[in-house]
Amino acid sequence: MLTLTQEKPRVQPTQSRELRITQWYQDVFPMACAYLRKRGGDLEAARELFQEALIIFYEKLLEDDFQPEMNDQAYLMGIVKKCWLRQRARSKPVEGLEGVEPIQENEPTLIPQKLMRYLKQSGRRCMDLLQSFYYERISMKELSERFGYKSERSATVQKYKCLEKVRDEIKQKSVSYEDFFE
Amino acid sequence: MRTSLSEIESIENWLTGRGDQGDRLLTEAKIQLDTDLRANARWQETTYRVVRQYGREKLKEEISKVDHRLFTSSRYRSFQARILSIFKK
Repeated sequence: MLTLTQEKPRVQPTQSRELRITQWYQDVFPMACAYLRKRGGDLEAARELFQEALIIFYEKLLEDDFQPEMNDQAYLMGIVKKCWLRQRARSKPVEGLEGVEPIQENEPTLIPQKLMRYLKQSGRRCMDLLQSFYYERISMKELSERFGYKSERSATVQKYKCLEKVRDEIKQKSVSYEDFFE
Repeated sequence: MRTSLSEIESIENWLTGRGDQGDRLLTEAKIQLDTDLRANARWQETTYRVVRQYGREKLKEEISKVDHRLFTSSRYRSFQARILSIFKK
């Protein structure tokens, strides 16, 4: 087993993302509530839908070629509306929705929760490091700062060590969890 | 960097189309010939998917935390009142 804590780095909190989420909530959620209230939605439904929209919006922002022609608030509100229309179309067929493109935000859930729980328990630090780079797409410089490595080179090596460790754990566990990746 | 980590880096470049094109072609050829390397590339691809799902779950947790704070903390009283007023109309 690889030891990844030799430098004993300290993880910095992801405060900036939380602040952005808080700002989006304050700026757009009231509008989303008003929109959904007019269409018969309640507060709980609005919260659920808004959270789904936030995830889609956040992942859109991470795309290399994402260049919205409107501000964040308007774009997020557009996603809320699409989510609502899609949800409504799912519950009953609605005429005139041919122009609404399905949002490809949810990949099929192929990763068993059992495996995810195991990875969280056995290697949370590695999983945090890997998601920071591959999901949040922060730079190597930010990665080394967040995880307290002395240099970008050192952070790069740790990233590959983590990748190898997690890959080997998945490979090993997949044998006992049968063919769940097929 | 040790050999196994260099291999991981080569696979990553091959999967993402980054790095030197000549190196990627070499990795491609090795993957065609070496079944172990091919299996490792497949598992590495799966690992990125797992990491992506983990990242999304983490984001969901963070959003729930923000939601909870906005609806329970006295610091956001005016926000809470504004939202509740929409549903009281």
